[in-house]
Amino acid sequence: MESTSIFWFVASFAILLFVTGIYSLLVTRNLLRILIGVEILAKGVTLLLVSAGYLTGRVNAIQPVIITMIVVEAVIIAVAAGIVIAAYRQNGTVNTNEMCNLKG
Amino acid sequence: MITFFIALPLLVVLILNLLPRKQADALSFWCGMALTVVSGIYVLMAPRPMTSDFDPVNLVLNWKIVTSDLTAVMLISIALVVFSAFWVGRYLLEDENRQFIFNNLLLLCMVGMNGVVFSQDLFTLYVFLEIVGASSFILIALERTKAGLEGAFKYILLSFVATVLILSSVAMLFMVCGSLDYEAVRICLTSGTLDENTSRFVLFAVGLFAAGLLIKGGMVPFHGWLPDAYSSAPTPVSVLLGGIVTKAAGIFTLIQLVRNVFVFEGVSPVLLVIGTVSIAVGAFAAMGQSNFKRLLAYSSISQIGYIIVGLGSGHIIGIVGAILHLFNHSVFKTLLFVNAAAVEKQSGTVEMDKLGGLSNKMPVTGFASVLGFLSAAGIPPLSGFWSKVLIVVGLWKAGAPMAAIIAILLSLITLAYFLSVQRKVFFGKLASGLEGVKEADFRVLVPTILLVLITLVIGLTFPWLFDTFLVPLESFL
Repeated sequence: MESTSIFWFVASFAILLFVTGIYSLLVTRNLLRILIGVEILAKGVTLLLVSAGYLTGRVNAIQPVIITMIVVEAVIIAVAAGIVIAAYRQNGTVNTNEMCNLKG
Repeated sequence: MITFFIALPLLVVLILNLLPRKQADALSFWCGMALTVVSGIYVLMAPRPMTSDFDPVNLVLNWKIVTSDLTAVMLISIALVVFSAFWVGRYLLEDENRQFIFNNLLLLCMVGMNGVVFSQDLFTLYVFLEIVGASSFILIALERTKAGLEGAFKYILLSFVATVLILSSVAMLFMVCGSLDYEAVRICLTSGTLDENTSRFVLFAVGLFAAGLLIKGGMVPFHGWLPDAYSSAPTPVSVLLGGIVTKAAGIFTLIQLVRNVFVFEGVSPVLLVIGTVSIAVGAFAAMGQSNFKRLLAYSSISQIGYIIVGLGSGHIIGIVGAILHLFNHSVFKTLLFVNAAAVEKQSGTVEMDKLGGLSNKMPVTGFASVLGFLSAAGIPPLSGFWSKVLIVVGLWKAGAPMAAIIAILLSLITLAYFLSVQRKVFFGKLASGLEGVKEADFRVLVPTILLVLITLVIGLTFPWLFDTFLVPLESFL
């Protein structure tokens, strides 16, 4: 395959991941599934960055970016998971209904 | 510069966590004090533009730094707010262990914000934004109350969406420019070599980036997380969040990118609309609040709207006003949150229905909060007045008289809701059950008095400041 068609192949997968992530964020009422949804979104972004590096032919410039991004994302998701666990201990459930009491 | 503002606080956090806990507890507070005070003085005293030629860490990293007076304004605001948050944390958090965690995370947050200010490429910006984010998530949930966890989770979720938007935009800009350096991106976008399809693509990417930053800055229509996070967080954390985090993460970055990197004329009207809507929504929502901290949160949305409007005017006076308002807002909003902390500790509540007549019992706090409110509402000769005047003049000169009129009228609403708070909390008859309330101790009066002095001094010496500090600011923009 020539390079632009490979790019479109990868980029359309990234868009597919975006759609999946947004859909899962919209339908679920479960805190952990929300986290999985945002992880899918983040994977879409990673794939988009890979395809950007491939398209411009500057793979060595984008590689450290992607590796750092994976690390940073893992930190954020660890914090988020910690908060979900604390919320579970507090409420006894991982349903989002318990997480919408602040209003006004 | 890098050594002092980023590497040293990071090293301090590492060392504090290696030391035996008993010594580290007290040491963490004094280390934070020393770092913030010295960095504030350093920024004030350093010759401008600040250089990093002899910086030991930078010799290894070889990080190209461009400093301007805007950087200096941000660094001073960060040092000031973190300084106040340290004192309030020492005052309000009783548990020593929690205080230690708070101090460490505060230092990490400071590292992140300094990094955001210094970063010169889009990806470094993202990494430091996430450092600020991660430390604020943990700080909001510090007390592990139900409300705190909810506020933190909402913040995480929206912040993650913002990250996804920003990084997609980064990927798109990389596709077009092949680099993430601010300078390279600016040259690539303004050289005029892009064809029509590509410039539409770039516009889309810039829009995504701006949307991400507006989420981080808590602007309408992306403001859903902000009141929840501010009001559910422990008050020392509210001081930090309300004072500086949204401004460093969202607004400063937006100013930097819109002025120096993307340079799009088409951005201005969008910013004007978002700014005026934010001013209106924040002001009207604040009028209906009964919780002191929640009211301050909505007022933050409204005041940051002024900054965005000033930026959107595109006129140099408006932008200078926006930057001055950014500094002023971090001063008076920190002052008000510090007062809220004093009220919370002394009377045990921040629900305004249960409060009243505290001014006789807490004279210093009462006076400071009057001053803070008046500055926020833009009453001369306090500092808030001058920045609002600059913003309105900038809007008028840029040919957006409607926005200028809305800004002035909504300033009256600001005065209205702040006076009603003042009457409910500090003036009037003493509420029942508050007879034993005393003035807060020195730990909270230190930041209060410092911030009051800054508000007064900037207001009174403004004509001098305008010539020596603000006019040179233009040349860096």
